[in-house]
Amino acid sequence: MTATVAPFPDHALAGISPEGIAPKAPPPPGLAVAAPLPDVIPARKRRGRVWTYVRRNPTIVVGGLLLLIVFLMALLAPWLGTVDPTALAPAKRTRLPSAQYWFGTDMLGRDVYSRVVYGARVSLLVGFSVAFFASIAGLAVGLVSGMVRWLDGIVMRIVDGMMSIPPILLAIALMALTRGSIQNVIIAITIAEIPRVARLVRGVVLSLREQPYVEAAVTTGTRMPAIIWRHILPNTLAPMTVQATYICASAMITEAILSFIGAGVPPATPSWGNIMAEGRALWQVKFYIILFPAIFLSTTVLAVNLVGDGLRDALDPRMAKDV
Amino acid sequence: MDRRTFLKGSAALGLAAPQVAMPALAQGAKVLRFVPQANLANFDPIWGTQYVVRNAGTLVWDMLYGVDDQLKPQRQMVESEEVSGDKLTWTFRLRPGLTWHDGEPVLSKDVVASLTRWMARDPIGIMIRGVQDELAATDDRTFRWRLKKPFPKLLYALGKTNAPMALIMPERIAKTDPFTQITEYVGSGPMKFVRNEWVPGARAVFEKFAGYKPREEPNSWLAGGKRILVDRVEWVIMPDAATASAALQNGEVDWWENPISDLVPLLRKNSNLNVDIADPLGNVGSFRMNHLYPPFDNPKIRQAVMAAMSQEDYMRAIVGDDDSLWKKLPGFFTPGTALYSEAGGENVGKGDIKLGQKLLKEAGYKGEPVICVVAQDQPITKAQGDITADLLKQMGFNVDFVATDWGTTGTRRASKAPPAQGGWNMFHTWHAGADTINPAGYPAVRANGDKAWFGWPNVPPVEAGIAEWFDAADPASEKAAIDKVNAAACEGVVYVPTGFFLGYQAWRKTVSGIVKGPIPFTWGVSKA
Amino acid sequence: MLGYIGRRILATIPVMAVVGLFVFSLLYFAPGDPAAIIAGDQASPEDIIRIRATLGLDRPFLVRFGEWSWQIIHGDLGTSIFTNLPVTTMIGQRVQPTVSLMLVTLVFAIAVAVPLGVVAAWKAGSLIDRLVMGVAVTGFSVPVFVVGYILAYVFALQLGWLPVQGYTPIEQGLWPWLSNLILPAVTLGLVYIALIARVTRATMLDVLSQDYVRTARAKGLSQGPVLFIHALKNAAVPIVTVIGIGIALLIGGAVVTETVFAIPGLGRLTVDAILRRDYPVIQGVVLLFSFVYVLVNLAIDLFYTVLDPRIRY
Repeated sequence: MTATVAPFPDHALAGISPEGIAPKAPPPPGLAVAAPLPDVIPARKRRGRVWTYVRRNPTIVVGGLLLLIVFLMALLAPWLGTVDPTALAPAKRTRLPSAQYWFGTDMLGRDVYSRVVYGARVSLLVGFSVAFFASIAGLAVGLVSGMVRWLDGIVMRIVDGMMSIPPILLAIALMALTRGSIQNVIIAITIAEIPRVARLVRGVVLSLREQPYVEAAVTTGTRMPAIIWRHILPNTLAPMTVQATYICASAMITEAILSFIGAGVPPATPSWGNIMAEGRALWQVKFYIILFPAIFLSTTVLAVNLVGDGLRDALDPRMAKDV
Repeated sequence: MDRRTFLKGSAALGLAAPQVAMPALAQGAKVLRFVPQANLANFDPIWGTQYVVRNAGTLVWDMLYGVDDQLKPQRQMVESEEVSGDKLTWTFRLRPGLTWHDGEPVLSKDVVASLTRWMARDPIGIMIRGVQDELAATDDRTFRWRLKKPFPKLLYALGKTNAPMALIMPERIAKTDPFTQITEYVGSGPMKFVRNEWVPGARAVFEKFAGYKPREEPNSWLAGGKRILVDRVEWVIMPDAATASAALQNGEVDWWENPISDLVPLLRKNSNLNVDIADPLGNVGSFRMNHLYPPFDNPKIRQAVMAAMSQEDYMRAIVGDDDSLWKKLPGFFTPGTALYSEAGGENVGKGDIKLGQKLLKEAGYKGEPVICVVAQDQPITKAQGDITADLLKQMGFNVDFVATDWGTTGTRRASKAPPAQGGWNMFHTWHAGADTINPAGYPAVRANGDKAWFGWPNVPPVEAGIAEWFDAADPASEKAAIDKVNAAACEGVVYVPTGFFLGYQAWRKTVSGIVKGPIPFTWGVSKA
Repeated sequence: MLGYIGRRILATIPVMAVVGLFVFSLLYFAPGDPAAIIAGDQASPEDIIRIRATLGLDRPFLVRFGEWSWQIIHGDLGTSIFTNLPVTTMIGQRVQPTVSLMLVTLVFAIAVAVPLGVVAAWKAGSLIDRLVMGVAVTGFSVPVFVVGYILAYVFALQLGWLPVQGYTPIEQGLWPWLSNLILPAVTLGLVYIALIARVTRATMLDVLSQDYVRTARAKGLSQGPVLFIHALKNAAVPIVTVIGIGIALLIGGAVVTETVFAIPGLGRLTVDAILRRDYPVIQGVVLLFSFVYVLVNLAIDLFYTVLDPRIRY
């Protein structure tokens, strides 16, 4: 799984130098001093504001744009010059990229370009579904564990146990239980990711539980659901959202690895992972079968990671040190 | 404990862990590195019928007879045989000086025990056992086999290449229950198995057996002198074809049993490599339908599928663009052999979708779901499965494509339950051409209902033809019987042959003596 | 202190119990019948039923779990269904390659990533910083096997500097051992480097802005000792944490790397076993990996007390 850390944001360092912030010396007497600024400063033009935002947060903008492009590609797949991605034509197998087959054909004569474009759907679906479901389930487990003290010990032991099994092995083992399909891949990867979210949420809940305003709320008789809703949840949102983006990126790579091993989505439905897995034996002679899905997958995962980094910088730079 | 100590400690632990013994190679020892078709996970060639186990078995154990490249059984461990006038009593005499790897002499009681174990698992062996009166050792080098009915194919059965082969083991090992794996790998074959260097899934090592006495005749498949011209043979198991290809090009391995055909042009370009056909007997692709449940219990629907499928599509999916690697197969027996027949095969693999759709409608297909089980981890079944899924969809079937692995396929196909309850309607497989030469050792062509192979076809004319073949006295009647079998099998669609295809093998130019055959024969192979 | 160590060690027991239950249940409920696979292609249904009875696969859950746990505690991981070898033997044969690979990867990744992260933090905001972080993020994003194939093609096939595949035990020489491990270690290490570099940079940035760093500089210490002695020591806790957690990444990535480079290690063993439904081997290997992971994290937790005396749980 990929990590859940991000670089320290650039702008937070502005104004700090090794020399420290030296106090301003008062101007020597007799020196002319500039007139003070007027009280009302006219608003900057709109264009300037957007450009400043982009300059200050390049990661989230670049990542977001890339992601939007991929998302649009997946949505508009049928209209992007694609053919049926499952149409076999064994007589035209392994043709190099050409005007007719933009990315070439694979071992069964299927058009690689169409498969890559439609594959975006599966990869995005897997990524976002896993992020969503793992977050919800992890939130539930973490809340229960943090709020209900006597359950905390048991639940955390189980979570620790699950976290001890390397996630890829867990996902492969779960896939071995059933047959390959998108749903099963999503379920398997989700289960492997839940423990980390649960730990994160529990951490937040535990730290919040001791806060004075929460204690006050309890003392004045506020009911548990209200406490959760008003005080706890808003504070979990930020770290959970950042974590969710990293889970999304990690899930897409895990899907590719599952397909590589042969335990992923069956090739009738193209996903970037299984296009690469099918073409891997031929990579020395027909490298394009691996090349194009690899480029798309790497770019998308990169974009998601950048968005996650940007979100973290915006929401809470201190999270950069946590894992 | 700080990190450095922890790491140092774990390093010591890991590197000192019990590991595989490494050889003390003599100066200039010749090692042949071979990439086999699959992993050698177990090593009992009577109990496990996988091709890779059989191939390894031929190195370690020897046989009474061995077929040559004309498929005629020749003497191997046997010095002479005698058959009585009524053809009911066979007396065999072993060659002198045969020893096991541990130095003990080979005795006829070892032979008797080995044959008994073999007969419990091998289809022809079971038939022989059915007509056997007595099999006993008369002295240390002689044994006698008394039958109740003549069995003309006895020597062929003893020397055939199809698994399980009649390999001879020491009595103590051969006494193991036929349904339990043996645990000792001692034989009288030309190579010894180096047990303590075996890493299942990664490596298997064989060493030349100095005490082996090869026959005088030149080697030809399983017949003649099995002379080993290298000191060690290492089987390097590589699941990733791209890695195997790179390793062969780089000289890290010497011989690759079955490179995939798409990589062959690349290997051919390399001036250090030779590439040639692996086995002229080739392979027969197949998919089997479940005759017990709808829709394939209806022979007309089966015939519709057989007419609509295009063998060219299947073969291209398996072997790629090289047309010299495949042939249409309007039948069930190996092209290029005496019994090859095209009788009744006009409708096989015509590729006529319209005809198939018409026949389907006429047959009254009511939309029953077809559970099609496809193993993704075997390239041949995977390729076939993709084509089938497309074919069935085009014909208008209601397809449920179950993508799974070879192991699960093995389980599921054995189930006679209704498809919706863990059973199946269709699965894919293939057979080595050496196994489809004649009905002996070819369970897939049998059609005796419940006793038949998975799919349980019940086509009495096929069985009648097979019985006729077993009793046939001369080649002409054999051919006539097989024509009947072929026609009846096409009519009843025992299974659907997807075509006949060949595979390549590749080796470095420093290696010589490699021959084409159903088994990668290591005798006669030398390395510069 | 000893109480803390004792409590931490005891805490691993219920964790391993959970892992054991989970691993066992996973495979108990799995479809796919090793009996049919063992019986082989030409077997009859009666053969399969007979083999299943011999293997004891038809008894109830609790009976089998109880028996299994008892055996595990006594160090008996069972016998492989397919090879009839004890699981401990099979694992023992493959430990050396995997441990070697992990060690070399760890050393390589830490040796590259920590300095990179430190430099990036030192020159925060500059081109070097952006470059290093850019490469780091890319390291996460490219699938491991693609990296492996490319490295093998360039350095082994085209340039011929290193072998394509295989493993040479260390007894046969240090360089042969290392040469087989360089490409796999770089492949596997790329993700790890990305992870460590990022955390190192973030932590270092935080530390560098602290007062005691300014004091050290004001005292006249040059940049080197400031960075590597004072700052890094204080940044150590999160960095060591991420190294520990990253071991799980390594184990997962080893599966793919061992396949691409044909290393006869535990990763390949696991994948083969899972695809073949060789239950005892799967159980043994997953248990082993989990146990190692738990031990590593235990060691790291205990190491914290060395690194940072303020930490007491």
